[in-house]
Amino acid sequence: MSAGPYRFVFDPELAGFELSPSHPFKPVRYDMARTLLLAAGALDESEVVSPRHVSDDDLLTVHDPRYVEAVKAASAKASRPPDAQLQRYGLATADNPVFDRMHGLVKGVVAATVTALDLVAKGEALRAANLSGGLHHAMRDRASGFCVYNDLAVAIRRAVDKHGLRVAYVDMDAHHGDGVQWLFYDEPRVLTVSLHESGRYLFPGTGFTYETGNGRGRGAAVNLPLEPFTGDDSFLECFDAVVPRALRRFAPDVIVVQAGADMHHRDPLADLSLTLRGMSGAYERLVALADELTGGRLVLTGGGGYDAYRTVPRAWALAWAALTGRELPGELPAPWREEWEARLGMSLPRTLEDDEPEPTPRAEAIASRNRSVAERLMQQLEEIWTEASAA
Amino acid sequence: MLVADVMTRQVVAIGPDTPIRDVQALMEQRNVRHFPILEGRAAPDRPDELVGIVSDRDVRLVGADHPRAPAGVKASDPVSLLMVRNVLTAHPGDPIEETAKAMRSRKIGAMPVMEDGRLVGIVTATDLLDALVTMSGVHLAASRLEVEVANRPGALAELLALIADKRINVVSVMTTRGDEDAISFVLRVATVDVRSLARQLRAQGVSVTWPPDKPVEP
Repeated sequence: MSAGPYRFVFDPELAGFELSPSHPFKPVRYDMARTLLLAAGALDESEVVSPRHVSDDDLLTVHDPRYVEAVKAASAKASRPPDAQLQRYGLATADNPVFDRMHGLVKGVVAATVTALDLVAKGEALRAANLSGGLHHAMRDRASGFCVYNDLAVAIRRAVDKHGLRVAYVDMDAHHGDGVQWLFYDEPRVLTVSLHESGRYLFPGTGFTYETGNGRGRGAAVNLPLEPFTGDDSFLECFDAVVPRALRRFAPDVIVVQAGADMHHRDPLADLSLTLRGMSGAYERLVALADELTGGRLVLTGGGGYDAYRTVPRAWALAWAALTGRELPGELPAPWREEWEARLGMSLPRTLEDDEPEPTPRAEAIASRNRSVAERLMQQLEEIWTEASAA
Repeated sequence: MLVADVMTRQVVAIGPDTPIRDVQALMEQRNVRHFPILEGRAAPDRPDELVGIVSDRDVRLVGADHPRAPAGVKASDPVSLLMVRNVLTAHPGDPIEETAKAMRSRKIGAMPVMEDGRLVGIVTATDLLDALVTMSGVHLAASRLEVEVANRPGALAELLALIADKRINVVSVMTTRGDEDAISFVLRVATVDVRSLARQLRAQGVSVTWPPDKPVEP
C-alpha cells in the first residue's frame, strides 16, 4: 500500500543512546517527537521508514580518512587511543566525549539523513524528515559542538554529485551552521543560509554577514546574525527579508532544513527568545517556498535544542505538521504526556501554546538592529549576485 | 608572531625616476597603497638600495588644491621629488607588536622589510589586522569567555587548569586591560555550553564577566 508523499525516517537505536549521562544533547527527544505525532494522529506507521545502510566510503565524501579512523578506534574501549591523540580531533572533550559504538551510532544518523534526502531526490517521497540528524558543526577532520559526523553534508554532497541536484540548505538552529557552510564554501551548487544568534555572543563565533562563499561559491553562503532576545516578530521579519530572495535567486531543486529547536526562549544555551508560534511560522514559510520553487521537495532534520523534553518534541511535531500540512490538537494527547512524565520523572506542558517570554524593554532597538543587518546583508548579496551574472 | 609570518613577500618596488602619474596608475592596477623605491647600485653583486617609500596619500595630493599639497610638484615629475627618504624599516624577525607600535608612533601605514640590505617584503596595517584576527582565534569554532584574574604569578595558570579539568580546549587567550590588582582576559573556549562553564567557574570563585548567567525558567 502506498504511504503517501511523506516519510519519517526512524531507527530506535538513534534515540536510545547518550553522549554522556550529563550531556545536554539528548537523542531521546527524537523518540518523544515521533510518539507525540503518532499519538496525535499526525503520523501514520506506514510513513515511518528505516534508514538504508551507508558505508565508510560515504563518510569520506566529506570527512578526512584519518579522522574517521580515529572515531572508529575511539568507539570501543579495547582500541581507544589515549585522550591526547583523540583531542587533536576534538574528541574526548566536554562537548564530544567518546562513548561505546560512537562510530556506528553516528554513522546511523548519517544513514538516516542520506535516506531522507535520497527518497526525495529519487521522487519516492515529496518530503521527508530525520529528526535524529542535523549535526551541522562537524568539520572535515574534527568533531565540534556535539557533532561527530556531518550527516547533512554527506547527504547534500550525494544529492549534488549523484543526483545532480542544486541544494538550498537553510539552517534554523540558534548556532551558526559552520560545518555545512565550510564544507560547501566553494561549491556553487549548494546554497547555505544560516539564521542564528550572532557569533559575537554565541558558539561557534562565526556566521557574520561578510561570510558569503568563496571562488565559484561566492554569493552561495548567506549569514544573518541576530541579536539576543530577537523574539518571534523580528525573527520572522528578517526571515522574510532574506530567505525568500536568496532561495528564489538560487533556484534550488530541493530544500534541506536543519530545524534546531534552540531558538526557543526556554533554551538554556541560547537567547533568541522565540516561541513555538514563531518557529512554526518559519517551518510553514519554508514549506511554502518548497511548493513555490522545488515542486514541494524538502528534507528536514533536527539539530540543537536543549530544553530537550518540554520544548523540542513540541517544536519538531510542529515542523512535521508543517511538512505534511496536518493539524495538531492544541491539547497534547494525555496518554503520551503521562507516559513520558512517568519515564522522565518531570511534568510536561499540556498544550502547544507557549507562555510568552518576558517582554524585553529593548525590543524595538533589537528589531531595528536586526532589520538593518538584514538590509545591509541583502545589499551586499545583490551586489555579488549582479557581479556574478555579469561575469 | 613575527613580521615574517604576516608580511607580503611579493612586493612591488619602483625606481626613483618613475613619473608620479605612473605611480598612481600602478597603485590602482596592483591594488596597493605603498611602493618602496629602489635604486640600483654601481656594483652588480650588491642588492638595490632602498632610497624611499611613497604612499597613496602622498600621490593623491599632487596637483590638488589642498594646503598640504606638495608645492610645485606635477604629475609628470619623478616620484623622487615626493618620496619619503628616511624610511622606517622592519626585519623579518621582529615581533609584530613592536612593528605595530612603531607604525602607530610614526603614524605610517606600511614598513618595507629588509634582511641583509635586501628588500624581502612589506608589512602593512592590514597585515597586522589579519594577524589580530588569527591571534584572537575568531576563525575557529569556539565561545567567548571573559574573566578577571588577580594580577599575581600563577593566577592565569590556575584558571586554565580549572578549564582543562573540564576537558575544554582553549583556542586563544587575549589580554584586554590590566590594572594593579586584576587583569582581564578574553578566552576563546571550544565548547557550545559556555554558560555552564561560566557557572562552574563562578562556583569555584572565578570572576567571570562574560557570559552572564541566564535565569532558569520554572
